[in-house]
Amino acid sequence: MSLIGLVFLVFAGISFYKIRHLKEPVVLGPGVTQVKKLSTYFPKIKGSINDANIYFLEGSEPGGTILILGGSHPEEPAGRLLGWIFAENAIVEKGTVIVILSANRSGTTVTRLGGAYPPDYSIPTEWGEQTFRMGDRWSNPLDQWPDPEVYIHYPSGQELAYVDIRNLNRTWPGRANGTLTEKTCFALTQLIKDEGVDIVFDLHEAELQYPVISTIVAHEKGQDLAAMASMMISGTEDFSMGVENSPEALRGLSHREIGDHTDAISLLLEAPEPFLDATRGRTNRALLLEGKDEFVVKAGKHGLLFERIDENGWHIDVRVGRHCSTILQILELWSEDQPERGIRMTHVPRYAEVIANGTGHYLRDPSTASPGKLTFE
Amino acid sequence: MSMFTSTQIILAIMVVVYIVAKALKLSTELSMLLAAVAGALAGGAGIPARHIAEGAFTYFDIILIFITATLFMNLLKESGGVAFVIRGILKKFHRRRSILFILITILLLIPGALTGAGSVTVLITGGMISVVLSYMGLSKPKIAAIIFLIAGLSAAAPPVSLWAMLTAAGVNMPYVGFFLPLLIPCVVLALLTIFILGWKGQSVDLEKALKELPEAPKGMNWTRVLLPFLFFLALVILGRVLPHSFPILGLPLIFVFSAFVTVLISPVELQILKISRDTVKQLLPLIGTLTCVGILVQIMTLTGVRGLIAISIVTLPIVAVFASLFFVLPVSEAVLMWGAAPVLGVPLVLLFNTIGLNPIIALAGMSIIWPLGDALPPTAIIGRLTKDTVGMEEPYTQMLKHCIVPALIIMAVGTLMVIFSKSLSFLTLL
Amino acid sequence: MIVTLLYYVLTAFIALLIIWNLVKSKKWQDEILYIIILIPFLLRLLRLK
Ligand SMILES: [Zn+2]
Repeated sequence: MSLIGLVFLVFAGISFYKIRHLKEPVVLGPGVTQVKKLSTYFPKIKGSINDANIYFLEGSEPGGTILILGGSHPEEPAGRLLGWIFAENAIVEKGTVIVILSANRSGTTVTRLGGAYPPDYSIPTEWGEQTFRMGDRWSNPLDQWPDPEVYIHYPSGQELAYVDIRNLNRTWPGRANGTLTEKTCFALTQLIKDEGVDIVFDLHEAELQYPVISTIVAHEKGQDLAAMASMMISGTEDFSMGVENSPEALRGLSHREIGDHTDAISLLLEAPEPFLDATRGRTNRALLLEGKDEFVVKAGKHGLLFERIDENGWHIDVRVGRHCSTILQILELWSEDQPERGIRMTHVPRYAEVIANGTGHYLRDPSTASPGKLTFE
Repeated sequence: MSMFTSTQIILAIMVVVYIVAKALKLSTELSMLLAAVAGALAGGAGIPARHIAEGAFTYFDIILIFITATLFMNLLKESGGVAFVIRGILKKFHRRRSILFILITILLLIPGALTGAGSVTVLITGGMISVVLSYMGLSKPKIAAIIFLIAGLSAAAPPVSLWAMLTAAGVNMPYVGFFLPLLIPCVVLALLTIFILGWKGQSVDLEKALKELPEAPKGMNWTRVLLPFLFFLALVILGRVLPHSFPILGLPLIFVFSAFVTVLISPVELQILKISRDTVKQLLPLIGTLTCVGILVQIMTLTGVRGLIAISIVTLPIVAVFASLFFVLPVSEAVLMWGAAPVLGVPLVLLFNTIGLNPIIALAGMSIIWPLGDALPPTAIIGRLTKDTVGMEEPYTQMLKHCIVPALIIMAVGTLMVIFSKSLSFLTLL
Repeated sequence: MIVTLLYYVLTAFIALLIIWNLVKSKKWQDEILYIIILIPFLLRLLRLK
């Protein structure tokens, strides 16, 4: 009996170990001017699992600075994949674009207990497949243990669920002497201040049963910008994005705290991810990437969802494409309004292009990368 | 084949395997495990080591709380603290039946409230209180009914209410705001139970009762009993008042520290190793349940069975849901034990949330109904434990008969809390 | 840091108690259950999950 137990332990253990140490290559695109470490801004996290790579894409013309956060919640893959598209393709002509692909790297190394997540997923490309770690909503307990009896947010003092002390989107603006997740947010806040970031985009996805979906959640500083962008998107693109105001009472979220504690405008984008719905059927890679599920469709027919869904589902290309177009649209409006803080870039696909070519079209082959042009997440 | 049909087949296979396993006299835990493995095979996932291990991990944090809290309670009992308290209140209040009932209720509520398990109440204070109650002129089946029902309410009572915690975790809802919505009904219903079942009787024969109760060791006093609890409270309060300067200890370590205090000031020498080992042994069925439920839920999620159950529940007419809670919840508890919370509780709370009810109050209402199922077959785990602890010779159904009236009240209160949860929302804010 | 270390000590202690009970157990059903509940404790101690 013990032997069978041991076999289980070994097989499961190997799987957990392999995923925690799976390397995700990033081929630095022509636009990347430097890659820094998050610890540059807060040395206390140096050497920790959350000492993320920070990709800088600097234009020759002076302008504004934006920060794109992928992987705040690693189980929402569209944001991380968008990060890859930017880091491997974008060319910035004016201003500075800073991209993070694994804002909570610890959270990418673990999967949800009881959630039956696949350990990883692969995006088909023209040169083969690229495999990514699945990840969870929370930091890995191997990096942050134990959780408190109740999580009290710093500095507001608001009581939150104990697990959310490992939720990167509940620990803003961060705490220098806090837990790993709090320190990560503190370092990111320092980055935003030190680099004089104008706009922060925090990229997310949500279950369709969650009321905040297909929307831009905007801090009051960014409400006009978000509202304009929403109108423009509905007019020019093949999809629509709503706008919601960041509630004052919800603490620890990026759209609230970054706006409150730094000069930056904070915007959070939500795309639909049926994989996260509690009524979902079989939990597998296909559901994650294609977003097709009969049970979720039935929930929609009963009026239980906040976004429509049919048998076509919500493909990952659609979700990534929405994030791409929304960011580009917001930047166009911003640059018109604030020419001296403007951003201009090329080689980033819009919604229709991502759907036509697939996300994998924008992923570069690491085996052909020239030396010094390859990093790992 | 549509996803509905194929998933229904997997569910049917899991149910059949569970029933066959139970019929072959396998424990509920192992039956759940076999059902999970059968589900994985039927779902075409083979025997997925990774998912089984990950599922087994699901309630790891809760298991740690569970073990450390029970160890704390067991050390307190072995140090003679529990006997001291029961003898103390009996001596002082043996002429005052009402006060005695109130104090007994509190003593029965504390162990389960702190650990989240009714069985801990039965084991820590249940035995001695059954002696007291028998000298108050109550029959054994009546005593067993009182202890079983209050033990169930103690498990639902805050701070640790596993049904509420497991369900809240499943819907990404903070386990915050549950204190009063759980505390008020649990205390009121526990008092109702003991007064309804225990009112008729006789006055206590103090000398005989004291003779049968275990002696409190020399040197045990109120300071020694209360100090570990005060220490526990102090650590919890410090963590809340100074969250950003006091280190994050977590409940398991707080229980361990409190257990250390108990050991340090115990008037008798405690065999820590033996008591720890016995604690794990005593908790095996419960830890085993939590672990196997985790595996079962993971496989149900993997194969889509959980989604099937969820979608079937959330698309039911709401009146039917309200009207069947009193029956469905205890039955699900009897079959799945705490697994009922992630499997049934999660979709129900999602449904209640969608139709505009207050999910916290509704979940609290459900949480007080669930433990009633612990007296029902196939598991009847706490019901049987109570029968043995009380030393009841009469048939088990005698105990169940006495449970009926208070159980109906508990079901009614729980259901009404769900239906009128919106009007009771203010409780979550206090 | 110290607190985390204490948690690993606590996990190791409980794992040892489980193993001890497993060795002394006479019922096969209990044995299986001990093995299953041991898995998460060992995975955490080995820092695998
Ligand atoms: Zn998110």
